[in-house]
Amino acid sequence: MEILRNIWRRKLRSTLTISGIVIGVLALTTMGALSENFNALLDGGVKYFSSSIQVGPPDGQSASLLPLSKIDEIKQVPGVAAAFPSYGFAAKPGAVTTVSFGVPDEIIAGDPAENDWGQLKLSTAQGNYLSGSAGEVLLGDTISKEFKKKVGDSIDLPVKPADAKPDFVNHTFRVVGILNVTRTAPDSFAYINIADGQMLLKDSLPVAIRSQIDTSQITESIDVYGQRGSSISQLDSIANRINAQVSGVKATKPSVIVDSFKSGGAIFTAITTAAALLALIIGGLSVVNTMFMAVAERIREIGLKKAVGATTVNILREFLIEATLIGAIGGLLGYGLGALITIVANATTPPGQSTLFLITVRLTVLAIGFAIALGAVAGILPAFRAARLDPVTALRNE
Amino acid sequence: MANVRLEDLRKHYKRGGEVIRALDGVTLDIDKGEFVAVVGRSGSGKTTMLDLVGLLLRPTSGRLLIDDVDTTTLTDRDRAHMRSEKVGFVFQEYNLLPTMNVVENVMLPLRYAKTKVGGRERALELLERVDLTDRIKHRPSELSGGQQQRVAIARSMINRPSLILLDEPTGAVDTETAEQLVALLKRLNKEDQVTIVVVTHDLDIAAQTSRNIRLKDGKVLADERVGAASVA
Repeated sequence: MEILRNIWRRKLRSTLTISGIVIGVLALTTMGALSENFNALLDGGVKYFSSSIQVGPPDGQSASLLPLSKIDEIKQVPGVAAAFPSYGFAAKPGAVTTVSFGVPDEIIAGDPAENDWGQLKLSTAQGNYLSGSAGEVLLGDTISKEFKKKVGDSIDLPVKPADAKPDFVNHTFRVVGILNVTRTAPDSFAYINIADGQMLLKDSLPVAIRSQIDTSQITESIDVYGQRGSSISQLDSIANRINAQVSGVKATKPSVIVDSFKSGGAIFTAITTAAALLALIIGGLSVVNTMFMAVAERIREIGLKKAVGATTVNILREFLIEATLIGAIGGLLGYGLGALITIVANATTPPGQSTLFLITVRLTVLAIGFAIALGAVAGILPAFRAARLDPVTALRNE
Repeated sequence: MANVRLEDLRKHYKRGGEVIRALDGVTLDIDKGEFVAVVGRSGSGKTTMLDLVGLLLRPTSGRLLIDDVDTTTLTDRDRAHMRSEKVGFVFQEYNLLPTMNVVENVMLPLRYAKTKVGGRERALELLERVDLTDRIKHRPSELSGGQQQRVAIARSMINRPSLILLDEPTGAVDTETAEQLVALLKRLNKEDQVTIVVVTHDLDIAAQTSRNIRLKDGKVLADERVGAASVA
């Protein structure tokens, strides 16, 4: 209680000091939540791409088309345990994409069995997974909210643009399930069956060659898996073997894709670190200043406490606790405000747009723990000064 | 039995090239239950002697024993513990903590004591003895000088010390209040058999104690039994 009263006896000064920490921790919380959200998105990519090898057309080929027969050839490569065709289409063709922290809406066609192989497991919040019947769609969380769809509803895909040409083709799909939130790409995806994917592929081909291509024998890319638990370096080796043994395809090493995701995350981590350093400098210096002022004002009190039996350690502890408490109050308020801002911002994000912030346990511990540690460290010098005061000099200080 | 024993106790300071002999070879015993006044002009060494006996200063040489313990060999930590257990202080400027109320101020020394005797009950009992029961929730700024000094006296007794040291305790109060405070000290000295050493300029106060030690230039000029208040 005495410590709280001591903090409060200089209301303006304490308020200003605590405000400094509040601002720093608020910045740390909001920037950190932004970074956590972005990292969650990237983590999804890392999870997905670190467990599979992406095989596409060789460099220089303009169309992303591969014969399905390549899957059988790839399966002959040592180390390959499974390979699946994969098709991807823009869900909103012609939509203008601006700078966004989310992933654009996409229609993904693939084999439902593939979900058993990747590290990124999808699960349904409502309804069921794809059964294999034509005309089914499984929607990600974000895209389902964007189009306000629930299980049993129908949706026309791809979405017809307002300025679509008369020959624009789309198809009606029945929503069989809604996925749980993944905070990464699948939230914006609409999953359909392979046969429906091949139908969309046909629609997407130029009219001049459409009739000449049997899309039932074509895939856009192939997702290849090694034995379960394969490391990235083992998958890299498999990719090298595919490139060496299978002609007309290019397997990208997972490590290349994963490194690219990680370097993107590093930028955001740097921003968060910068915010933390700013908090350290502003908040820390103001706590140091406040505590030195407190020591200067309370010299006689320190002398009195020593006279009535306080040891050096007792005085050191009292001032350290006071500084730590200033840090803790600032940290809790800053975190609370920051969390409130992110919650309000996420709640007011229009349906269908990815939310920007993610408050995690890690971020909570970091923000509050950082503020407490900051107060404690900033209090060390003033506390030492107080603790080492000569009681006789202190008692007769004017 | 000597409660406090000073053996050739000296405290010298260096100021520039000059050595200041604040206390210069004082040897004396103060028995348990004595009420002693230390008098002398400014610079005679009164306050230095009080600071040494109160373990706030370390002597340059000599020995200081409190209840037969040689305090000159103790660590700073042990000296702090001895201050907490054996010594109570009362200062001219009261030195009450402004953020605490009366009872909290009285209880302050308990925070640093190894054995916390009595706690709040003891504080309330002491406040009753100094006639401040109706002021326990007041802050120091709401009290008169005399009341504040009575709080300081109660605080000095909370850990049941064997020795109370007072540095000009009546220096900041009027004559009537000073007389009341001295009467209170005499009563506590008699009832608790606590040794009281008071540093004062006021010869009227000194006359009410049992013994006057007169200092000059850091040495004992005179050591007289007064008799009026002797309880030893």
